[in-house]
Amino acid sequence: MASSCSQALRHHVCKSSRILRVHLQKAWPNRSFVLNPAADQQPAVSSPEEEIVIPKKKTWSKEAVLQALASTVNRDPTASDYRFQDDPYLTPKTSSEFKLFSLSQESGRNAAKYFISTYPKYFQKDYAQPHIPCLMPETLEAQIEEVSEAALIERIQMRKVKAAVDLYDQLQQAGTPVSLDVTNQLLDLICFYGDCDPAQENVPEQRNEETEDVQDEPQTKKGRASKASDKLKAAWKENNNAERIFALLSEPNTHSYSALIRGMVKYGAYSKAFSTYTDLLNNQLKADVSTFNALITAAPEVKEKYNEKWELIVDLLKQMAEQKVKPNLLTLNAVLKALRRCGTVGKSQAFPVISEMRALSIDPSLASYNHLLSIFYKPGAPFQGQTDILQEVMNEVSGKSFTPQDPDDAQFFITAVRICLDTKDIEQAYRVHELLGVGENWRLLGNDFQQNIYHARFFSLLCMMENIDVVLKWYRDLVPSVYYPSSNVMRDLLQALDTDNRLDLIPQIWKDLKQLGHGNRQTLVEELLTLMAREKQNQEVQETFAECALDIKKMYDTGDRGKVMMSWTAGSLSDLVSVLLAAQRRQDAWEILKLFKTHNRVPSEELLDKFLTCIKESGDVNQALELVQISAGFCLPGTPKLIQRVQQEFLLSEQQKSMLSDLEIQTFNSD
Amino acid sequence: MYRRLLINIYQVRNGLIHTQNTRLPSTKCKERESFAPVIWAPCTARPLGTSSISFSENKESSTSLSEDKEKRPEENEAKEEVNADGQKSTEISNATLTSQLETEPVDKPEDSKQVEKTKSGKESLLELLGAMKVEVTTVRKIRPSKTPRMSERPDQEPMESTHSMFQHATAEGSQQQGTLNPALVAAVSAAASTLPNRHQAESELLKQLRKHEAVPDTQRRADGQNIGHIIADMKVGGRKTNGRSSARPTSQIRFDDDGKGYTQDRGITGELDAVRRRKSPFTSKRLNIFTAGMEQDTLSVLGPTLWDIDLANQIVQATNQAPRNGFEEMIQWTKEGKLWQYPINNEAGLEEEASVPFHEHVFLEKHLDESFPRQGPVRHFMELVITGLAKNHHLTVQQKKEHIDWFRDYFRQKDDVLKEAEA
Repeated sequence: MASSCSQALRHHVCKSSRILRVHLQKAWPNRSFVLNPAADQQPAVSSPEEEIVIPKKKTWSKEAVLQALASTVNRDPTASDYRFQDDPYLTPKTSSEFKLFSLSQESGRNAAKYFISTYPKYFQKDYAQPHIPCLMPETLEAQIEEVSEAALIERIQMRKVKAAVDLYDQLQQAGTPVSLDVTNQLLDLICFYGDCDPAQENVPEQRNEETEDVQDEPQTKKGRASKASDKLKAAWKENNNAERIFALLSEPNTHSYSALIRGMVKYGAYSKAFSTYTDLLNNQLKADVSTFNALITAAPEVKEKYNEKWELIVDLLKQMAEQKVKPNLLTLNAVLKALRRCGTVGKSQAFPVISEMRALSIDPSLASYNHLLSIFYKPGAPFQGQTDILQEVMNEVSGKSFTPQDPDDAQFFITAVRICLDTKDIEQAYRVHELLGVGENWRLLGNDFQQNIYHARFFSLLCMMENIDVVLKWYRDLVPSVYYPSSNVMRDLLQALDTDNRLDLIPQIWKDLKQLGHGNRQTLVEELLTLMAREKQNQEVQETFAECALDIKKMYDTGDRGKVMMSWTAGSLSDLVSVLLAAQRRQDAWEILKLFKTHNRVPSEELLDKFLTCIKESGDVNQALELVQISAGFCLPGTPKLIQRVQQEFLLSEQQKSMLSDLEIQTFNSD
Repeated sequence: MYRRLLINIYQVRNGLIHTQNTRLPSTKCKERESFAPVIWAPCTARPLGTSSISFSENKESSTSLSEDKEKRPEENEAKEEVNADGQKSTEISNATLTSQLETEPVDKPEDSKQVEKTKSGKESLLELLGAMKVEVTTVRKIRPSKTPRMSERPDQEPMESTHSMFQHATAEGSQQQGTLNPALVAAVSAAASTLPNRHQAESELLKQLRKHEAVPDTQRRADGQNIGHIIADMKVGGRKTNGRSSARPTSQIRFDDDGKGYTQDRGITGELDAVRRRKSPFTSKRLNIFTAGMEQDTLSVLGPTLWDIDLANQIVQATNQAPRNGFEEMIQWTKEGKLWQYPINNEAGLEEEASVPFHEHVFLEKHLDESFPRQGPVRHFMELVITGLAKNHHLTVQQKKEHIDWFRDYFRQKDDVLKEAEA
């Protein structure tokens, strides 16, 4: 049609081509706001004699404008997650708060849905104009009461397994024939849920379970919990309804077999699935691609040896080719996933499999790459000479935007960054992170839990490999807007500070630590104190250290809203004293020194020695004597030495002298 | 022998399997033009010399190499001595560069790295290159982590001119002046051992080497301008970080099939990409189970089954669907149908009329058929009505029809009155 139009137009165009061209050129830049590349629709106005190609009508998706607008918004590293921006009071500061707030938001939604669905009669008023179906209560009860095929279809659509099976039996008894399609749908339903009613969120019995699940992540909750419970509760039972109904079928077709085999594979009856497949072949039928996918998934389960597993997979693929079944991406991923359990065979065959699928113009998704990485990098195994696989994979995927096509797609980033961490390959880690920023790839990072793992690994690697300035740059970018570091990661950060000799940043980090809720992690706090006490810094830094140390002391004193308090150890106390002494805060240090007694800790001799030196600088004789008394009180073996020092270095009155000699005798006697 | 070498060159070229790293001193070569064939073997094993790294899994080339060995025993001697010296010959198993130029058997080949001494222009270099014969080299094992990483570097500074890279490389090299690389010394002694008065030769060679190392930076920079022209067309290797390559000169000369003797336009990234592509396991051979153009047997497709819905559901749950900003939340609401969609054309909100073509709105005469009189004031009035309706964009076609129907009923009721008045 376009060509005929252009034929008709040509005459006219030739005359006014110049004007037209000018107009088109004028108009074209105005369309440059297009979101999707419209290269193929570009009208060819190269020369007036040439045929004019009328551009195709551009159909816009209804989100086009919004997408264009959304693409203009960048992430603000100082802001919290969008979910929490409605109420600044509820901005989470720690990972537990983050979890709590996001879960309460989700559970609030679920609660509302539950009430609407349970009491639909109170929610019948339709305010929305035009009508919004998703806001109206769902019908949960079957509407058709009589025994008919329509009622069966309705029950299948509402996923009521038991009711549908009962109805099917009634129909059979009444002698009403049920069409093959509907029976197949019923088989699908039974096999999918393993002959049990699906666990419905909105059923009151489930509520207890749900509240327990609150600790879990909101999005995985449904998927993971239901999957786990399915696996635990339901195994494929001998002669269950699916098999029974299947046996009743006079002429099962591919779809029926497919449903049965997939159900068997899903519920762990692997060898049975293969025998059903043999049945299918005996009946002169062909399997469909999803059947093969399920069988490939099951292949590693039915064979013991690596070779046998692989041979079975190859055999299945050959049968696919014979039966002219075109594999799809899920086939590729199933094969690769199976190869993960084939040891060395997996390593040799993974790339040929990918090449094979490429030849069929099936491009691997992130899940394929994830499986590939898992084949070559087993966790805990040595990594010699394998770094190149990650590089090859990164060379393949860099700069590409992926769309989710497989549930395993979301594992890729975690796996990749784990390998980077294991191989200490910061370059690849940057590439992985860069890939995350391309297009919609951020969606494939998965849920909050996975995001946390990813960022923890990435940040640990940074702390390990990078210069402290770079680490801090990333730290400010990621924390706390997308990532709440755990105490382990914060320890990594402290170590990075230590290695690059930037201990002066510690007070700053301590503030963050407190805010992130790690202020009561004893090991972390002790490490912080040790780092501060270890070396003498310049005066300014020592001042801030002292402030920070006193702040830490407050943390010990108050505890955190009745939570388990940290207990002083001799090491932490003496570190604290050293920090304060280094900042010339003798009085504060003296207070701390008293804490040794109250907490039944024993100070070290070096500490007391240091303290005495500090006292000497100010020349406070009484305090020196008290120090000696404290030392004697702890029965420290170094007390005589202290006494000696005091005698030599201070100007003592007679009374003080006699006191000292008394002490000396005491300690001598106790020895 | 010339033929033999030619064949070797073609093998190298056709295989496209190596990256030749050479440092070619055009001046020195020129000086040696009247000498017997030079043996470059000692240099190749030395990190600083005309070392060439090449990747070859070509069995043929290695066999041809062994044939060469038979033909040129004296070269082999030199090579094997180098190898015996325990140098980096594990990686560079064998690499020789022979020149047709007449040079004396061993003539301080380490001088060759001094590109900065070149005075001749591009033409002379080209001549030399054309005249040179490159022999096949083999590398048994490629360090896996190195080559792909090399390809990363140029991405970061792809625009860096070869000239500046060269200067960078010389700067790196100059850090080493004063202390000679032990590998270098070993190579010198290897070379010297082929000469009659071994010790003297060796010390001379070393002296010569130190002289080069001591060439002041300023001079290098001054010469750099000139060299820049020459090496502009050369292949320049990426900077490597390991000890061996940090000392290696960076000018890599490479032949190509285009007949010019060297590649012209393809940058380093292109070259390294080629290396990478060649090495990528993703292009390995396939299983050959399926045929590409396979037609799928069409099975009865009944729309999405429960399994498909579940797969989609799983994917949604596995991925992060939380909106990052207000617009994304609005997109989500639009998809869920909670939000009136943002107008993307001037037909927004046209749900019920979407399938009605415009002429149904405009040409309403057909509704005035037999139920109205053919002419007269009623007909006239009704024509005015439909004109008005045709221009009214607030009403749907159904409403317009209803409007006309109302008049039809009305005039039917008033039929008597009309007849009275008219007739």
